[in-house]
Amino acid sequence: MYQVEASKALLKPRLWARRSARLRVPRNVVMLGTVSLLTDISAEMVATVLPMYLIFSLGASPLVFGAIDGTYRGAAALVQVLSGFSSDRWRRHKEVAGLGYGLSAVGKVALVAAGNTVGGVGAIVAVDRVGKGIRTAPRDALISLSSAKDKLATSFGVHRAMDSVGAMLGPLIAFGILFLAPARFDAVFVVSTLFAVLGLAVLVLNVEGKPRRAPREGAPPRLGAALSLLKDRRFAPLLLAAAGLSIASVSDALIYVGLQRAIDFEPAVFPLLYVMTAITFMGLAIPVGQLADRVGKVPVLLAGHALLFVVYAVLLMTSVGYLALIVCLVALGGYFAATEGVMTALAGAVLPEKLQASGIGILITVVSLGRLVSSVAFGALWFAIGLHSAVLIFAAVLALAMALSAPLLLRAQRPAWNG
Amino acid sequence: MDRRGGRITIALVVACVLLGGGYVVYAAMSPSDTTTDARPRAGEVLADTELMVRAVDPASPSLNGRVFVVGDGKLRRSTGDLSCERIYFAAGRGICMGVAASGVDYGATVFDDRFRPVHSLSLTGLPSRARVSPDGRYGAMTVFVSGDAYLASPTAFSTRTYLLDMKSGGTIGQLEQFGVTKDGARFDAVDFNFWGITFDPADSDRFYATLGTGSHHYLVEGSVHDRSMRVLRDGVECPSLSPDGKRIAFKSRVEGTNRWRLHVLDVATLEDHPVAEERSIDDQAEWLDAETLVYSNGINVYTVPADGSGESGLLVRDATSPVALRS
Repeated sequence: MYQVEASKALLKPRLWARRSARLRVPRNVVMLGTVSLLTDISAEMVATVLPMYLIFSLGASPLVFGAIDGTYRGAAALVQVLSGFSSDRWRRHKEVAGLGYGLSAVGKVALVAAGNTVGGVGAIVAVDRVGKGIRTAPRDALISLSSAKDKLATSFGVHRAMDSVGAMLGPLIAFGILFLAPARFDAVFVVSTLFAVLGLAVLVLNVEGKPRRAPREGAPPRLGAALSLLKDRRFAPLLLAAAGLSIASVSDALIYVGLQRAIDFEPAVFPLLYVMTAITFMGLAIPVGQLADRVGKVPVLLAGHALLFVVYAVLLMTSVGYLALIVCLVALGGYFAATEGVMTALAGAVLPEKLQASGIGILITVVSLGRLVSSVAFGALWFAIGLHSAVLIFAAVLALAMALSAPLLLRAQRPAWNG
Repeated sequence: MDRRGGRITIALVVACVLLGGGYVVYAAMSPSDTTTDARPRAGEVLADTELMVRAVDPASPSLNGRVFVVGDGKLRRSTGDLSCERIYFAAGRGICMGVAASGVDYGATVFDDRFRPVHSLSLTGLPSRARVSPDGRYGAMTVFVSGDAYLASPTAFSTRTYLLDMKSGGTIGQLEQFGVTKDGARFDAVDFNFWGITFDPADSDRFYATLGTGSHHYLVEGSVHDRSMRVLRDGVECPSLSPDGKRIAFKSRVEGTNRWRLHVLDVATLEDHPVAEERSIDDQAEWLDAETLVYSNGINVYTVPADGSGESGLLVRDATSPVALRS
């Protein structure tokens, strides 16, 4: 079903525009969603076939693939903060985001032209990761600046839903091509390049670079101003809460590893776990965003994290049946829908207009560092005291983090109530 | 501006659909190459021992992965359409791990002694190792999974190892779900990976495998029935039991690298020695007979004496995944 909807979105943006009119989502947000949808199709097409391509066509060992896959993820964090600040400083969010999307498109072209060595593929993957690091903060700032403050969560929900449609379509298109033309990885790369170019074209041609809330007057912000966000009366508590909540949340990759140990099912079922979580996320991102705009972002954010307790409870069961598994995956999808986009929306509401991209860049970096700490800690606890005790400790830490972050988040949000 | 942008976008969409669709159709229509029957070529040391190998020829999809039988100084291409990345065969039953029948996903086939598919299974990752117990009762398969690299570390690539009932073709379990003990105590960590099972020729319930965690690669000894394993020693990957069950050939990592040397250890003492092969070998070795190892470097199949003497010799060119056929 999502397939049909997404292909319509691809070919007839107007249809989505009409639907989004009912949602009252700014055109710019739908266009940015389309850019992400196309770019994600492009990226996921390559990501899906890359292991097969490296190992079957280029004869790389799986260890080499692991190295290529893992090496460049760390680099993205620093790039995010820098690109966020630069786009605020130059007031050129669209152009900086375009640079990021452009780099990824160039990477796809390079894959077609020069992707026949393992080293070449490694370099191209690195360029792609840097491109992703560059574009995220200015793009989210554009989404935020295009939306009225009381519709931010809906806007981010629409964007994240479209983004995940692209992530689901990419592998299907790649498999479709390989089904028609077996072992012709070049065809996958060519089509992936075209999607990347289309995404960039939609950004350049259809996205407004100076949306309604974009600052037009006043001096460009200095680095000091961006850094002082770290002690901002409203943003600092938000960052603190985001850091605490991300440390207390077990990463989805670890949850899947845990589930895999607890459930005795056919190996073929395993990929379906990811699909089910993704479909739930896709379906819930928009309604949950609307809910957050109506009843408040903080309660939705906290309720989303509370869904993790359901996931933890399933991880604690000694034998997990299909019903428990489905409940767990739906809860996980709901958790995603109610947290990342809503948190960014909250940041968008709290941050001053001239520092949107800087603040969002800092937020993303803090959250990803928090996740890293969480993964290392969970791994260490699992080793030391076993999976069940580790989950119990994380449940307790999550309860504590939620209790502590609630007042912090409310403090961040407070002035918005007055004006 | 808005309107013009929209028009250009639509024109671009049309152009991309035509271009991309055209390229895919062109790729799908271009003829696949014809079969050459000259490969794999035998090397200088073609033994009379019966051997099964898979052909390596990435340039020729119609030949790459085909199964050949080497014996009586001749090479015979197997009948049937099996195309495999990794094979094993024992007691009339074989495993072929490769790309699924759909052509777009990984899968495995259990085949009989005339290479006819008996069961097919889907795989969740890249085929890596396959084994069948000498009595034909159990099978084991290892795949690489890229999905759950939970830390951004180059070593975060993970594996899954499945046990099969070769009669029904069903999965008996995953090593990841078995309990492990080390020095008598329960042993568990999130980054546990298992690979390279080998079965005891005298008792197929007993197996050895590799447990990777952190920077360690432990040799574990396990029981299918008890669903449990215990750690024996460190530094052993891809164990392979000798026909008499007394020695284990394995790949020993050259410290701090992704290079391996083949070693042989004594099961009773756990002491090991290197063999004469000097190339880096990333393979689960096979015992050609009681004294000789056979293995591949991903390009050709070689042999070397197991006792550390002599030197390695080329057995079959352009082939991997050697299986000694015992009657």
